[in-house]
Amino acid sequence: MRALQWQGVNKLAVGTVPDPQLRNPGDVIVKVTRTVTCGSDLHLLGGYIPFMEKGDVLGHEFIGEVVETGPDVRNHRAGDRVVVSSFISCGNCWYCDQKLYSLCDNGNTNPAITETLWGQAPSGCFGYSHAMGGNAGSHAEYIRVPFADVGAFGIPDAVSDERALFASDSASTGWMGADLSGVKPGDVVAVWGAGAVGQMAARAAVLLGADRVIVIDRLENRLAQARQHAGAETLNYERDDIAGELRERSGGRGPDVCIEAVGMEAHSPGPQFGYDQLKQQLRLQTDRPVAVRDAIHACRKGGSVFVLGVYAGFVDKFPLGALMNKGLTVRGAQMHGQRYIPMLLDRMAKGELVTEHLATHVMPLDEAPRGYRMFKDKDDDCVRAVFIP
Amino acid sequence: MIAGPVAAGAAVVAVQRRGRRRPHRRSHVVTVFRPLAELEVTQLPGSLKEITDGVEIRLAEAPGGRGTEIAVRIPEGSSVTDGEVRRALRETRSLLEAGDVLLPSGPPTTVPTALNRPLQMATQHGREGGLL
Ligand SMILES: NC(=O)c1ccc[n+]([C@@H]2O[C@H](COP(=O)([O-])OP(=O)(O)OC[C@H]3O[C@@H](n4cnc5c(N)ncnc54)[C@H](O)[C@@H]3O)[C@@H](O)[C@H]2O)c1
Ligand SMILES: [Zn+2]
Ligand SMILES: [Zn+2]
Repeated sequence: MRALQWQGVNKLAVGTVPDPQLRNPGDVIVKVTRTVTCGSDLHLLGGYIPFMEKGDVLGHEFIGEVVETGPDVRNHRAGDRVVVSSFISCGNCWYCDQKLYSLCDNGNTNPAITETLWGQAPSGCFGYSHAMGGNAGSHAEYIRVPFADVGAFGIPDAVSDERALFASDSASTGWMGADLSGVKPGDVVAVWGAGAVGQMAARAAVLLGADRVIVIDRLENRLAQARQHAGAETLNYERDDIAGELRERSGGRGPDVCIEAVGMEAHSPGPQFGYDQLKQQLRLQTDRPVAVRDAIHACRKGGSVFVLGVYAGFVDKFPLGALMNKGLTVRGAQMHGQRYIPMLLDRMAKGELVTEHLATHVMPLDEAPRGYRMFKDKDDDCVRAVFIP
Repeated sequence: MIAGPVAAGAAVVAVQRRGRRRPHRRSHVVTVFRPLAELEVTQLPGSLKEITDGVEIRLAEAPGGRGTEIAVRIPEGSSVTDGEVRRALRETRSLLEAGDVLLPSGPPTTVPTALNRPLQMATQHGREGGLL
């Protein structure tokens, strides 16, 4: 079959690879109908997560049609239209029982790498390096989905492919950020990053009853989407005084909840950007934490900061003093998709949650390297590139 | 940029190697989300059963309804390695909780290169290394 393969740092190519096979009795094989770029892939592409092998198939946000089921699969049949959580979870360990699905104990075949790096291993993910299980990704004609009764969900007829696709990863991630940071009616919520993840976090905050939701980025097309589709206010960090505006828009208190949806390649107009980039390139720090620093500084006393952006290792100039003295709660997570996907599909069916505007560029899988170039460089106002195998 | 994967992959392998040579001063322990009453040392599924002769296994109730702690100690002179115990414990936990042990996806789509050799070595022993 055809698949998009990582060939080295910043090198992608579509090649021919063996078709995936059922390996465990709970697996299904899904014929991929839509698969999309994610900001997380950029970290792999750029070599910031150094656990890729030449030939690895990328992609973790996708929908498709079930074509083959293992003998233990109960919830799915060939022909089902499904959306699949990007993280792979067993559904039966203590973490899954707590609905912390991306922390599943049994979903990563290579726990040694992350256990050594971080002390404990999160679960596995599709197409997200050998540290996350080395599972072949979704930018392919077919994909093997393990623990399919737990991680794959039938798509209601009322939800189009175009909309359902984003329940797989970005909408679940955004919703998790708003949910686990405790957004409630009356809150002022600030979201850094107006990519798909930030927009979905902002929309979740609005639907959870936040009084004001403010999205921060520098890309005007993305900020316009956040206003139109999430119902948020926006700030441009190249033009506006973010700290001052946030203080003014929250009655001088600072936002109750600050959600960071930028990640370790954060950009900044100030001198700290050069400093962070140099240190990252010299491997003195692995990640650039600009937006996390700003979020901690802006947050009201006793407020809550959620780190949705992906970080791999260490950061420098982390404002521990502000965190401690302002009594903040800082939390982060890889997405617990299984916890949110059914509810998200329901909201999608009702029209409360729209996502199709995120797919600014739709193209055949064969053009995926071009799609990634556009997505990476934000060319032609690309928000997400969707591939059709 | 190029040094990244090599260095990181090599670091994981190095930690495993050191782990193998270290004298065993403590037990390897996992918590499985199953009540103690359901488990018996001699009936544990998976490869733990194959090494029971070479190790000491203890079961204890985990606090707060978290299930059962399975602790394995390798006695002086036993031929069982830390890696075997880690892999067995992870497999046993997965069998008890999920009824299965996840296999890596396949057939492989990758090609071996000089750059990814350390990483391939590490992932071939993915359940043996780590900190367990
Ligand atoms: N936690 C999870 O499970 C999970 C899931 C999906 C994605 N992610 C992560 O979320 C992050 C965002 O994903 P995405 O797909 O939306 O990525 P994206 O690259 O499309 O969007 C990131 C946005 O951040 C903006 N940005 C850069 N620096 C900024 C700054 N200093 N302040 C404000 N905005 C800034 C960029 O202009 C861009 O619009 C990535 O790090 C990705 O890895 C995490
Ligand atoms: Zn993602
Ligand atoms: Zn689990």
